[in-house]
This record gives sequence, C-alpha cells and structure tokens, in this order.
Amino acid sequence: MDNVRIGKAPPVWAVLPFFAAGTIFFLAMAVMLLLSGDSLRGNYFDPRLLAIVHTAAIGWGTMIIFGAAYQLLPVVCERDLYSPRLALLSFVLLLAGAVLLIGSFWYFRTGPLMIAGGILVVLSVLSYCINLYGTVGIFHKPDIQRLFLLSSAAWLLFTVTIGLLLAVNLAYPFIGRPHLEILTLHAHAGLAGWFLQLITSIASRLLPMFLLGKPRPGKWLQWSFLLQQTGLVLFLADSYFNGSSWRVMLYAAVFSAGIFLFMYYLYSAFRGRLRKTVDLPMKQSLFSFVFLWLAIACAPAVYFLTDSRWTVIYGLLLFCGWISGLILGQTFKTLPFIIWNFHYKAVNGKIKTPLPRDLYSASLVRWQLTGFILSLAVLGTGIIADRAMLIRSGVWLWLIVAVLYMWNVSRIFSHRIKNNTDESGHT
Amino acid sequence: MKVDIHDPFFSQKMTALHALHGVMDPELFINIIDLGLVYDISFLEEEKIIIIMTLSTPHCPLGEAIRSGVGNVLRPLFPEREAEIRIVWEPAWSPAMITEAGKQELGI
Repeated sequence: MDNVRIGKAPPVWAVLPFFAAGTIFFLAMAVMLLLSGDSLRGNYFDPRLLAIVHTAAIGWGTMIIFGAAYQLLPVVCERDLYSPRLALLSFVLLLAGAVLLIGSFWYFRTGPLMIAGGILVVLSVLSYCINLYGTVGIFHKPDIQRLFLLSSAAWLLFTVTIGLLLAVNLAYPFIGRPHLEILTLHAHAGLAGWFLQLITSIASRLLPMFLLGKPRPGKWLQWSFLLQQTGLVLFLADSYFNGSSWRVMLYAAVFSAGIFLFMYYLYSAFRGRLRKTVDLPMKQSLFSFVFLWLAIACAPAVYFLTDSRWTVIYGLLLFCGWISGLILGQTFKTLPFIIWNFHYKAVNGKIKTPLPRDLYSASLVRWQLTGFILSLAVLGTGIIADRAMLIRSGVWLWLIVAVLYMWNVSRIFSHRIKNNTDESGHT
Repeated sequence: MKVDIHDPFFSQKMTALHALHGVMDPELFINIIDLGLVYDISFLEEEKIIIIMTLSTPHCPLGEAIRSGVGNVLRPLFPEREAEIRIVWEPAWSPAMITEAGKQELGI
C-alpha cells in the first residue's frame, strides 16, 4: 500500500471570479431582455438580440462553465490543474472580451472595438485550451470523458475563431458566403460542439459520482461521441460547401442519436443509483435536458417554416432552457463546495462545521426553479402567439429568477466562519 | 472496519474509531467510517498512529478537507503519537463498502 498524493483543488482565485462575473452577466442578460423584449418578436439578426445571445453564450454560459471546468478538470483527469495563473488570465481576457463584444452588438458598432472583443475572447479560449491540454496530459488507456473534453475545447476554439472572422466581416466584408449562413454554422459549432460535448464529459463522470451510481458501459458514450462528431462535421461541411438543404435533417438525426445515447447513459446511471434522494439542484440540472429535446423537436420547424419565431424559440430553449437550467442547478453542486473547502478545509474536525448545502438557501432554489419553469412557459407561449404582454411578463419572471439566483450566490460568497463555533464538537 | 477484541491496541483503536465517526464526507453527509473509507488503524509503530484509508473519488476536491479532519480529531486524543494518514487506491472504494448504518443514513 502506498502513501499517494491525493491532489489539490485549484486555488479559489482561479475559480471564483468566473462564478461572480457569470452571475452578474446573468442578471445583465435579464435586464437586457427587459429593455428590448420586442427583439424576441423580430428577426434573430437583431443587434440587441445578438448582444443578449452573446451575453448568454459568453458572459453567462462560457464564463460559469470555465470556472466549473477548472474546478472539475482535476476530478475528471485525476491530475492537478496545469496552471491556475493561466486560468486567471483566461478570466481577465474573457471578461474584457465579453464586455467589448456585448457592448458593440448592443449599440451595433462594427469595427475595431467589436474585433478587439473577438480577439480577446479567442485569446481567452486559447489560454483555456492550453490549460485543458496540460491537465488532460497523455492518456494511454481509452478514456471517453477526456476525449469529449478535448474535442469540446477544439470546437470552442473553432467557434470563437469563426466568430472573430464574422466580426471582421461585418466591418470589412471578405467572406464569400452569406453572413447569416456562416452565423448559423458558428452558433451550431458552439452549441453542439462546445456546450454539449463538455456537458457530456462532465455529466457522465459526475452524475454517477453524486448519486452513487454503478459504472455504465463506456461503449454507449463511445458511440455517442462518434455520432455527435459525425452529425456535426457533416452538417457544417455540407452547409458550408453546398448551402442549406434537406440533408441537415439527416445530420440532425445522426447527431440526435448521439445525444440519445448520452442521455441513455445518464438515465441508466440514474436508475441504478444507490442514493435514492435527489436534491433540488440535481433535479433542476436533470430537468434542463427536457429543453434540449424540445429544441431538437423544434429543428424541423426552424428549417421548413420561414417564420423566424421558431428560430427565436429554438434559441430560447437552448440558451435559457437547457444551458441556463443546467447552470442554475449545477452552481449549487459546485460553488458551495468550493467556498466550504476554502473556509473549513484546515479546521474540519476541530470545530463544528456546517455542510456545503447549508451555505445556500434551498427555499430560494425552489422558488428559482418555479420561476424558471413559469418564465419559459410564458415566454414560449408569448413568442409563438406573438403576444407582447406575455413576452413582457415572461421576461419579468426571468428577471426574478436572475435576482433569486444572484441572492443565493451572494449568500454563498459572503459566508464566513461564525465566531461562536464549538471547539469541542464535531460535524 | 472491525476491531478484534484480542488486539493489543483494542482500547486505543476503539477510541480512534469513535473519534473518526466525527469526520464527515461533506457531500454525502455521512461519516467516513460508515462510508467505508477507513481500511485500517495501526498503533504498531512507536509514536505513530497510522490511518490507512481511501477516498470515494481520486482527486476528490474535498480530499484534503477529509484528510485534515482525520488528523484534527486524532491529535488531541493521542498527543504522544503523530497521526500519519496514508491514502491508498487499492482496494478501490465502492458503495458496497458502506456499512449498514451508513446505508440506512443514505436511505439505501
């Protein structure tokens, strides 16, 4: 028996800034929706809608996912994080890039500022990729979760590079293809390549861990990887070289089969779990996948109907339903542990300590989940029925969700060790 | 983990075992003894108490907290001995190692 290193969690300064900034961007997104709710009734190529989508994708989604990834990469890869300093650098670059890009879209100032924002985001993603590849290292035995991680980072780099080229193209047109066609490819590379593949990697490793599930056959994930990559690459290549055609439905079916296998893996781990009680954050996270399937179900309407409402619904289901739903739940499975570890690691066993779950309010999470479902239902109905009043009500509900989330996150951040701790007691 | 009543260090081991019931896994909210993380407690080396244990996940972010918790509860009880915590991965932990009491706590 060896005395082995158990590995260190990354320092809090490399992780927490992402959660703090991501929370502010989430609130900003809700305020922006409130200020321009009418954008949801028009064409998706609307400056304010582009600003909102980039707030959701970069400021909120990617920001929080970067923070969570830096915390969880050592668990998935069983190695310490390659460089916490590089993680902090990626934060600074992402924050500056996101602010510049979102501001440029909101006021639609094409040119140097928008391009500078795009460059900063690309540099941030490069820092993330170096850190990821350094942490993953060389693996000799097949490890599907690490493969998904590497692939998601490659897709992210591809997505932001195309995004930068599109930003340049807006000011200095040079791309020979229609701007909107490339924008569609850019969006799908980000959603299906970056977000979904990273989520597949992390969720397939952590869900069985959280719920004490039995290991499931890895071949389901291997097939999922193959189908997801095949569907996405064929969609992007065919759409780029031949333009949009009925074949995108075929690629969507191949891709969906990949998602189905991933979901089946999760379902199987969930069914075989030993820990029967599922807490609220985990319920919200699992529930978010319903919106992914609803978005996939909407895909034919987006393609075959010229009505842009379906494109907006599609985006709403993916950004607000799936990605936001997942983050709204998973924040409370990661952030309280990071803060708890920071405060109590050294004194564990010496003084009476709270549990990580005591650092946030479960009641606020319950209200947050209720508001989340109500908001999406009202917003979705408002967009489909083209009712401004319903859209406005849905946006107000979304703002309430953002405030509840921010309140709960602030509560975790402001946690301090109480002075009247019991020196003789245990947990 | 069971302690043999004929063990020459039975009394010390039971004291240590009792104290280790106070170290919790913060995620599962169950103590590390009932979770089955502690494999052995040894008093054979002079001036040392050696805890051989594992973690539920390699590179668990809370691993350091659990390890420091073990040292923190043992040091005041055995001031003359140095607490040495040896983390091992063989045998790998599995839910089958959870005790009956632990299973009840987890609702398994």
